[in-house]
Amino acid sequence: MNKILSKRLLRDLRTNFGRYAALLLLIVMGIYLVVSIVGSAEMIIQGTENHKSVNMVEDGQFTVFVPLSDENISELTDDGTQIEPMFSLDLKTKDNETLRMFRNREMIDLIQLDEGELAAKNGEAVIEKGYASAHNIHIGDTVIAGGTGFTITGIGSVPDYDMCIANFSDTAVERSSFGLLFTTAEQYDELRSAGGLNAEEYTYAYRLGNISNDELKEKIRDIKITPESVEDKFFRETIEEILDERNEIENGVSKLNDGAMELSEGLDNLSSHSSELRDAADKLFEGYLAQANTSLAAAGQDIVLTKENYHDTLEKLTAATHSEQLSALMKSLDELSEFRNGISEYTEGADSAAEGSEELSDGVKELKDKTDRLLDEIFDVDIENLTSFVTAEDNIRIGGAAGDMVMDKNAGLIAGVIVLALFAYVISVFVVHQIEQEQSVIGALYALGVKKKNLMLHYITMPTLIAFIAGVIGAALGFSPLGVSTQAQDSYSYFSIPEFKTVYPPYLIAYAVILPPVICAAVNAFVINKKLSRTALSLMKNEQSAGSYKQFTLKTKSFPRLFAIRQLVRESRSAVTMICGMLVAIMVVMLGLDCYVMCSNVRDYTVSDTKYEYQYLYKYPEKTVPDGGEAAYIETLSTDCMGYTLDVTVIGIDGKSKYFDARPEKGKTKAVINSSLVERYGYKVGDRVVFSNSAADADHSFTVTGISEYSVGFTIFMDIGSMRELFGKDEDYFNTVYSDKRLDIDEGRLYSVTTKEDVERSASVFVKLMFSLVVTLIAAGTVVFCVVMYLMLGIMIDRSAMGISLIKIFGYRPKEIRSLYLNGNLFVVAVGAAIAVPLAKKAMDLIFPSFIPNVACAMKLSFPWYLYVIIYFAIILVYAVINSLLIRKIRKISPAEILKNRE
Amino acid sequence: MYLQVKDVKKSYGKDTSYIQVLKGVSTGLERGQMCVIQGTSGSGKSTLLNCIGGLDTMDSGSITVDGTEIFGMKPAQLSDYRRDNLGFIFQFYNLVPNLTVRENIQICRYIAEKPLDIDELLETLGLTEHQNKFPAQLSGGQQQRCAIARALVKNPKLLLCDEPTGALDSKTSRDILVLLEKINEKYGTTMLIVTHNNSIKNMVHKVIIIKDGLVKKEYENEKRVPAAELEDL
Repeated sequence: MNKILSKRLLRDLRTNFGRYAALLLLIVMGIYLVVSIVGSAEMIIQGTENHKSVNMVEDGQFTVFVPLSDENISELTDDGTQIEPMFSLDLKTKDNETLRMFRNREMIDLIQLDEGELAAKNGEAVIEKGYASAHNIHIGDTVIAGGTGFTITGIGSVPDYDMCIANFSDTAVERSSFGLLFTTAEQYDELRSAGGLNAEEYTYAYRLGNISNDELKEKIRDIKITPESVEDKFFRETIEEILDERNEIENGVSKLNDGAMELSEGLDNLSSHSSELRDAADKLFEGYLAQANTSLAAAGQDIVLTKENYHDTLEKLTAATHSEQLSALMKSLDELSEFRNGISEYTEGADSAAEGSEELSDGVKELKDKTDRLLDEIFDVDIENLTSFVTAEDNIRIGGAAGDMVMDKNAGLIAGVIVLALFAYVISVFVVHQIEQEQSVIGALYALGVKKKNLMLHYITMPTLIAFIAGVIGAALGFSPLGVSTQAQDSYSYFSIPEFKTVYPPYLIAYAVILPPVICAAVNAFVINKKLSRTALSLMKNEQSAGSYKQFTLKTKSFPRLFAIRQLVRESRSAVTMICGMLVAIMVVMLGLDCYVMCSNVRDYTVSDTKYEYQYLYKYPEKTVPDGGEAAYIETLSTDCMGYTLDVTVIGIDGKSKYFDARPEKGKTKAVINSSLVERYGYKVGDRVVFSNSAADADHSFTVTGISEYSVGFTIFMDIGSMRELFGKDEDYFNTVYSDKRLDIDEGRLYSVTTKEDVERSASVFVKLMFSLVVTLIAAGTVVFCVVMYLMLGIMIDRSAMGISLIKIFGYRPKEIRSLYLNGNLFVVAVGAAIAVPLAKKAMDLIFPSFIPNVACAMKLSFPWYLYVIIYFAIILVYAVINSLLIRKIRKISPAEILKNRE
Repeated sequence: MYLQVKDVKKSYGKDTSYIQVLKGVSTGLERGQMCVIQGTSGSGKSTLLNCIGGLDTMDSGSITVDGTEIFGMKPAQLSDYRRDNLGFIFQFYNLVPNLTVRENIQICRYIAEKPLDIDELLETLGLTEHQNKFPAQLSGGQQQRCAIARALVKNPKLLLCDEPTGALDSKTSRDILVLLEKINEKYGTTMLIVTHNNSIKNMVHKVIIIKDGLVKKEYENEKRVPAAELEDL
């Protein structure tokens, strides 16, 4: 029986060719869409990983002031770690472009040549592919840089400059103005020794042995150098400023020590004459007392005056004799006794002071010693050699292309889910409709004894075969140069990566080739099984369920309107089916539009929110703010987003900033957050937000005091004074200056200068990189939408076909037919679009943030109003075109044919 | 003559699948007559009916209805011709399944210049109590009556019936034929009935027998048998 039935398959294909072709196109486009997007993302991600592995990508790199000695390198590599110098010189071309020259690599970050060979002798060089492409440089051409001509022997890329930017702070790749050059070591040394070039950067790449990044960093930190060995004048200036402070403290303490010693010596000297002074005073008193005894004896008084009794004796005698002479004698002796006692007290004090000053001198000496030791500790003159340490994970130059593909892959996978849901839905509608049309045949065959499984097999075969073929074609197209390669073109034209080989992830192949036929077979089996639960007679009679139509009354007197409304309500299931199909199909288009709108909004808002013309980020901050500049203090914290660590920039600003609208309150835990954080995390005023400070291994908690409509990255604003206090900086510290004109700041002092143009350029990168993804999603989504509309409208018109043909027989004119039957479809599409467009948009907006968990940016997905209008009218236009195609088919059928088929 | 058919030829297919269905049919019908076309399967009777109804085009020949030539009419003209002159009744009723009885009738009433009153028609056809039912809720006879009401509501000058009782039992068939007879008498509608049924020829004014694409025989009944008295339906 199956053999006989199978003969019908080709006839069925011919009869329903349009519909099967549409189903095939739908699946092909859906699979192509998913395979090309996800396949290209996988190709870049896996290719980058492979590129890193094959070309021995570094685990990290560090830069030092003074090149490491052989002994240093030996210490650092004793655990199996590999270290290779990646010294570079920036050479200028005649157009003032920069070519960064390296020696040929031997162990780490090896050059991957796309064509040619490595430089083997002087005058030869390999050039980075992006620069070569931007300047149309080919092998054999000569490039002049740093006044030297290089013959290009190879064109390639290195894994440590995947994103080929000059500085880590650069935000966008400029292929035409920056590139890399790899020469022989001799050529490199020759150019370096010739002088006249920019300072050489002493950067080393490493691959870890049995050691962690942190441990290696500590080992490098232990390598000390003296300030004198450092060439950087701004670094030396900073060191000297610090040393001046030390000298000032040291000199003060020394002076204090000297003074204490001098005092001690003086008092010691004074103390040494105390006994002589005391003796002289005693002698003076005793001499005067002897003279008084002699005078009293001469006057007949038998009295001996001593230093103990003289006062009482003379007082009694004066009282008895009233002698004025005796009274004067007593007074003189009292004065002399008082003088003697004073001398004694003074000399005792001098002795004591001498002793104290000695102690003071000892103490100050001890203070000096301790201060010297403390200063040695604080002002370490043996400085670390390390200037920067960047792990591969934190190096934005490495793996940029793969990181960029995260959004593509996520978008592709989501599109995949939508497309699968769409397949299942469309196939089910398609099958239900087909089975309904065929139910009398099914009933007849069933009645004739054909088994259920044979019938199922028969009806499942064609759509399943179509789904399988479509899956294979879609996969082939997706994996072909038209798919993954086209999709990856934006990555190739932006990042410096080799042309990767297409990868064929098993899950993607299974998705493309296995799932469509499986879904198709499952849906068919379900529907046919349900249909065959009815009796053969019921099927043969093509019985309609009267219960599926509802009777109702309407007040309108216009027959066409009355008829159209009734038709619409009674065919509401078809209408809902149509709207659901539209909704799912629009979601794919909406996904593409959301990608585009988000990227262009990020660009536009970033540009409009950037009020400054120049941002100077200091490496060696100054003491005073340059004229015309506004000082700010910037630190970087981080936050978590779906497993990704994203930077949060903390900007300390003055309350009256000219360049930011945020007005942060004073307080170490108060901050104004920007709109990007609000959009991504839903923070609001009063919330407490916590960000990590990985450098200090600490978390900082802030209370949100306001929200700034500043959408550049994730940013929080603090009062600059409070921020200095929080991060332990001086009260006049700043490391950033904003201005609206170019300022005269020594370049060597700066880490980077970012102009508004740079910001615009980097903000535009998103749009550029997402372009092919957006185009693919919108184009394929539009095709999918048109096919779904074609199938759904086809089914709706099919259901009306008999009615339309009949009223044609009765003599209805085209305009009347439209008003009775087809305007209802237009109404369904018009209302459906009005529902489906915002619903699809809402659904996409909800899941969109999960596409870009690795990008710290605003989530501005709002469409301009006119885009909704355009989408709406585009849907109506698609309807009009498809409707006219389908109606033309109906018009061609003669009324008699319809009757014949019916009978 | 109200309906004049002259040397009508009609063929289908090309080369090996070429088949000439009508090989030069000529006949005619007076206004208000009931006529039966009889013939075996494949004789060309339904094709002739479709050509007269403007549902199918003919290769050559002439068909005039009330003096209007159909041959050479464009689809829009044919549409107007059907609209202004014809009513159709089919073997399988061809009712619109998602419309009620009344709404199915309204379809044709809407395009009629002088339509009949629907309620009167429903009454005449015994459908008043079924007017809000859907076709699936009706019996075969009721469905055919609904189809007749739909055809008649336009008050057509010519009613074309293709096997109107082909799907009905004999009692229902008789009811339908009585109804047609009644309508012919009441409205003076000219009727052309294609049928296999040999008994029906006795109730009509004229009988046309077609064989192999040609009119083999045509005659007018001198004595008509009322539909209610027909046997072997």
